[in-house]
Amino acid sequence: MTNHVVRQLGRDPGIIIVKRGFALSSSYIVFAIILSSIAILITNIGNAFLRGVPGGSDVYAGTSISLLSVGLTALAAGLLTTPVLLLYVYDKNNGVLEYFLSLGMNQGDIYKRYLKAGVILVVLLVLAVAVANVAVALILRGDVIFPLEASALAAALSLSVVSFDTVAMMAFSSLQKQRAGANQPLGLALGALLVLPAYMTPYFLPFIVVVVVDLAEAVVIAALSIALFLLSSRLIRREKLLP
Amino acid sequence: MHTLELRNVNAGYNKETVLRDVNLTIQEPSIYVVLGPNGAGKTTLFRTIAGILEPYSGDVLFDGENVTSSRDVRKRINYLSHHNAIPEEMTVYNALTFYANMQGGSAEEVLALLHLEELRDKKVSDLSQGQKKRVSVAKVFLRERDLYLMDEPTSNLDPGYSKEIRDILLQLSKDRIVLYSTHNLYEASDIGTDLILIKDGTIALTEQISNIKLKEYRVGIKATTDISQIVDAERGEQGYYVMTVSSPEEAGHILKTLIEHGVLVTEMRQLENPLQELFENTRPVKA
Repeated sequence: MTNHVVRQLGRDPGIIIVKRGFALSSSYIVFAIILSSIAILITNIGNAFLRGVPGGSDVYAGTSISLLSVGLTALAAGLLTTPVLLLYVYDKNNGVLEYFLSLGMNQGDIYKRYLKAGVILVVLLVLAVAVANVAVALILRGDVIFPLEASALAAALSLSVVSFDTVAMMAFSSLQKQRAGANQPLGLALGALLVLPAYMTPYFLPFIVVVVVDLAEAVVIAALSIALFLLSSRLIRREKLLP
Repeated sequence: MHTLELRNVNAGYNKETVLRDVNLTIQEPSIYVVLGPNGAGKTTLFRTIAGILEPYSGDVLFDGENVTSSRDVRKRINYLSHHNAIPEEMTVYNALTFYANMQGGSAEEVLALLHLEELRDKKVSDLSQGQKKRVSVAKVFLRERDLYLMDEPTSNLDPGYSKEIRDILLQLSKDRIVLYSTHNLYEASDIGTDLILIKDGTIALTEQISNIKLKEYRVGIKATTDISQIVDAERGEQGYYVMTVSSPEEAGHILKTLIEHGVLVTEMRQLENPLQELFENTRPVKA
């Protein structure tokens, strides 16, 4: 039974793209782990601070800086999914996307495969971050509520940012006339730009406002990524996916 | 029996038209050789028939269904691009399994069919160009389809493997339409029954290859003695005595004459391919 599930998972197109992406470039895993570790550290420093200061709204005001971990986790997610974007360009240039089209797929089907791979990676990352946050909180005998809140926010923002970044970069790569390697820094810059409010707001806004801003940002970016996905699947002609 | 029909098809890239008003109907199962110089539009024709390129205008129909809009019809077409399209970071077996999972078929079976077992666990990036081409061709045979579009399937392959692939296609062509592009004119006349000649994005000629005749033939003869004293031949390239005849029958008479004079003829061959003249005529003339 377990072997069957593992075999089925191994055949999943999203999982295969993840594996192929990391075979192409695995150094991004290291960067993502470093950034996530810093995010976990910041979250738990905030949690410890929460424990040390007597209750009340001031506590939340004081700990809003620890919500920097949300933006950091989203950036780590962006880094982790960069190999998927690289693979898309690589597959386009080597005729793999052309072969996918010849099997009856359309643009949307192909985008969905790479997007799914990105989402799988983000889910794995945010789950690991959430487990680590709770584990560290328990080890330090702290409250698990704040680490869980921070993890949930990070999950929402990471998923929306990576979805938008992946779709935008696939559309951009499809429209490029020349084979260029500029997608990698551009994708990272786009991801960093999207999470900018999550970096800025914790410095001068109270905790609850930062939470609202992060959530609103996640919702807006998610809506944008859905719109962009639907538009690009319809507006970008199949020929744009050819080598 | 299947029918492929192109009606007033205009197609290209980035709004630049490559194929112009292409009309074509194919009904008989056979191998149709698509011939034309580089840039004539052969690959664009294949991509349009495969539904990969959406035509700017006109229709591509397979068994009456529109290829561009019907995903089900596209799934009945097999297209081999001149790009290998094999993930380089995978092993040969994993790459073929990757495609088999997407379209059906068995990696084991195509490995056996094309005698690729010895490459099974090798990484695609470690293969030679010819080996990559064989793996690329193998993916097309993972699952049988109703229409085969083979864009230069034997380029980079040695004669043995080329023949192996041609034999498989000949077998498939008994009840299917196979479109086959090549620059090798001898291969074209060897495998194909029909010719589709493309020039400047239009179909310049469709004809049965057996009907294509030349006005005159250059024949090369290798013999153990000087035959220029017996027939009107000149010493030519690669040790051949070269002569021009008006028909294959005349060549037979010459051979008979030489034998009657006690000449041992070791080789006699046609020096030009009947398709050569057609091909030369389709090449753009330099200004």
